[in-house]
Amino acid sequence: MNDLVKENKLLDTVINSFKIEGKVIRDCRVEVYADKNTVSSILLFAKNQLGYIHLAHMTCVDWIDQGEYEMIYTIYSPVDKITLFVKTRIDRENPVMENIDTIWDQANTYEREMREMFGIEFPGLIGEHDFILEDWDQIPPMRKEFDTHKYAAETFFTRPGREDAKDVRDEINKRSGAKVPEFAKKYSRE
Amino acid sequence: MIREKETTLYLGPQHPGITGNMMVKLKVQGDTVVSASTHVGYLHRAFEKLIERRNWIQAFTLLCRFCVPEPDPMELTYARAVEELDNREVPERAKYIRVIVMELARMQAFMLWYAGQSGSAGLYLTPQWSVGDRNYILDLFEDLTGGRIYHMYIWPGGVRRDLPKGWTDKTLRTMDYIEKRLDEYNKILFDNTIFQKRAQGVGIVPKDKAIEWGVVGPVLRGTGIRSDVRIDEPYEVYDKLDFDIPTQEGGDIWARALVRKEEVRQSIRIIRQAIADMPEGEYYNKVSNPMKWTVPAGQAWARTESVRGEIGFHVTSDGGNKPYRVHVKGAAYTHGVTVLEKILPGQNIADVSFILNSLGVCPPEIER
Amino acid sequence: MENDKNSQKIVDYIQNFARKHSLFVLAYGTGCGAIEIPATMTSRYDAERFGIRGAATPRQADVLLITGYLSTKTLKRVIRVYEQMQEPKYVIGFGSCTINGGMYYDSYNTINGLDQYLPVDVYINGCMPRPEAVISGFVKLQELIMAGRANNGEKYRENLEHYRTNQKKIIKNWKMPDYNW
Repeated sequence: MNDLVKENKLLDTVINSFKIEGKVIRDCRVEVYADKNTVSSILLFAKNQLGYIHLAHMTCVDWIDQGEYEMIYTIYSPVDKITLFVKTRIDRENPVMENIDTIWDQANTYEREMREMFGIEFPGLIGEHDFILEDWDQIPPMRKEFDTHKYAAETFFTRPGREDAKDVRDEINKRSGAKVPEFAKKYSRE
Repeated sequence: MIREKETTLYLGPQHPGITGNMMVKLKVQGDTVVSASTHVGYLHRAFEKLIERRNWIQAFTLLCRFCVPEPDPMELTYARAVEELDNREVPERAKYIRVIVMELARMQAFMLWYAGQSGSAGLYLTPQWSVGDRNYILDLFEDLTGGRIYHMYIWPGGVRRDLPKGWTDKTLRTMDYIEKRLDEYNKILFDNTIFQKRAQGVGIVPKDKAIEWGVVGPVLRGTGIRSDVRIDEPYEVYDKLDFDIPTQEGGDIWARALVRKEEVRQSIRIIRQAIADMPEGEYYNKVSNPMKWTVPAGQAWARTESVRGEIGFHVTSDGGNKPYRVHVKGAAYTHGVTVLEKILPGQNIADVSFILNSLGVCPPEIER
Repeated sequence: MENDKNSQKIVDYIQNFARKHSLFVLAYGTGCGAIEIPATMTSRYDAERFGIRGAATPRQADVLLITGYLSTKTLKRVIRVYEQMQEPKYVIGFGSCTINGGMYYDSYNTINGLDQYLPVDVYINGCMPRPEAVISGFVKLQELIMAGRANNGEKYRENLEHYRTNQKKIIKNWKMPDYNW
């Protein structure tokens, strides 16, 4: 087992350059917590100076109880083989975030999807607005207050006899008198 | 020189030449493509929203359907992310079984790629052979898990059932048969002048921009960069097995085809070693009450290598019995939108379908 | 010359016999069921011995195989494709998602029952159906054709108002050509 030398060195470099906090989760996983205005400078620094050239993923988590969106950028270095997470928080009612597709071209696709699904504004983002959905007139669907089952039951036809959310334990207890019949015993794997 | 008018062509959702249900809007001048834009969204099912309404175990029924040609890496990546959150150990025998299932899935997806690539070049004998042989691998899956395409076999903690009696002998016999057939495939596709002339020099992905555009998998190995999740960040028992990672220079369709051709032979090698080295023992670290299982709070990121490239899962848990947020990065997410729009200008219309098959664009992964 | 019942029966018999042995399926993979179609059409489960083969455009096809779920974006294109096909035309619903929504019943983007928007002849259930199940679905369609009961193209023309109301409830931006044949 290695003793996390490279991970600690990376963490110290980033923390001391930008005066932020972070920690080493396990081997090959390091995370830092940044303010939303410094994210693009951290990403540019990591890409040009430290060799973190591969943008693996960009995601958004909706913490509705805290009133915030959490944006997580996942970058990877093919030489050191460490994955670095840059995490930041933005406001949920008027979400605006910096556009990083000047650093990586592929971020354009991720940002278009987040604009449509979460309603986040990225100033300077080009590309058609309708990426996945067509003629959508409700709130952005991945927000936690959007009830997808209610919307589906009202818009689409539901066949009668299809109720939702029966408890599995109750149903098993209702049918608990049934046993495996004789002819089927030789096929059961027990 | 006559300047031709620019026309818009919709290589639309109903077309025999595209790989799935998506649209590529082309602006052409004569026979040359001037610009291209991808339109997806025809297969959107809102998986990530549906998973938030299911238990940790019920989410498995939805996960297979993310990537239709090769469903097993999705199950494995989710299981690994949940095991990391829950700190759950996996027994040795289960790890070997998982490796065998992954490599079998890689081989059957290769045969489907083989059919698509040669079908878009106009050679219609190879799909009949390769899809017919793929059925032998699907027979193996049916003996093991009960279903041909969607298995739901890999759970957090191990695998669902142990191997049936005689399955390993049948697998070794199937591997011998397929190894002989791979030489026959070479004769009709890779040694065929039509395919060589059409594939060399077409659809080039430049080496210096490849990682910046987000290229992964055989497309990246076809430009000369040696990168594979199985050796960069070994998972399961890949660090104990002995195999090569083929790379080619050039970045065109021919280089990518050669990379894929060699990879399937390495898969056969891995399966033979795994069957020989597999220990006896437990196959499942049992979860005590699966329908009421809660996972501690935290976030995890797991990656695996599928036949198209790197698949990543970002799982967030808030301590409850349902996943709080699952976000999937499909392997061809960037291939289908960013890379395609950059390498299509300058190609012929007849080569658009050829390039789509070679990049391995799979629309269900892009829009989930 | 009178057109008496017996000679009409012979003409119908020959016409249905020819139709049932040459079913051209449109090359359109609308959902995840499309992964079992290459297996059905190739060497092991050979569907071509029944006369089933692929067709490239809607004008040349007889059967529209809806393989799996339909999102609202695809439904608009499927309706347009269906209206471009020439009669006699048949629709086969493939998989449980066409019957009652399947496992995506609570999704905001997939429809829950195909019968409301297009007339369906045969349902094949399963998730996925095996290639033998697909072929048995086609055999059932052949029996319906032989008995003269597969004329849903006329049913669509006669009940166009009913189908249009259902379709327009879902597809909000209706810019499609009118059905005039």
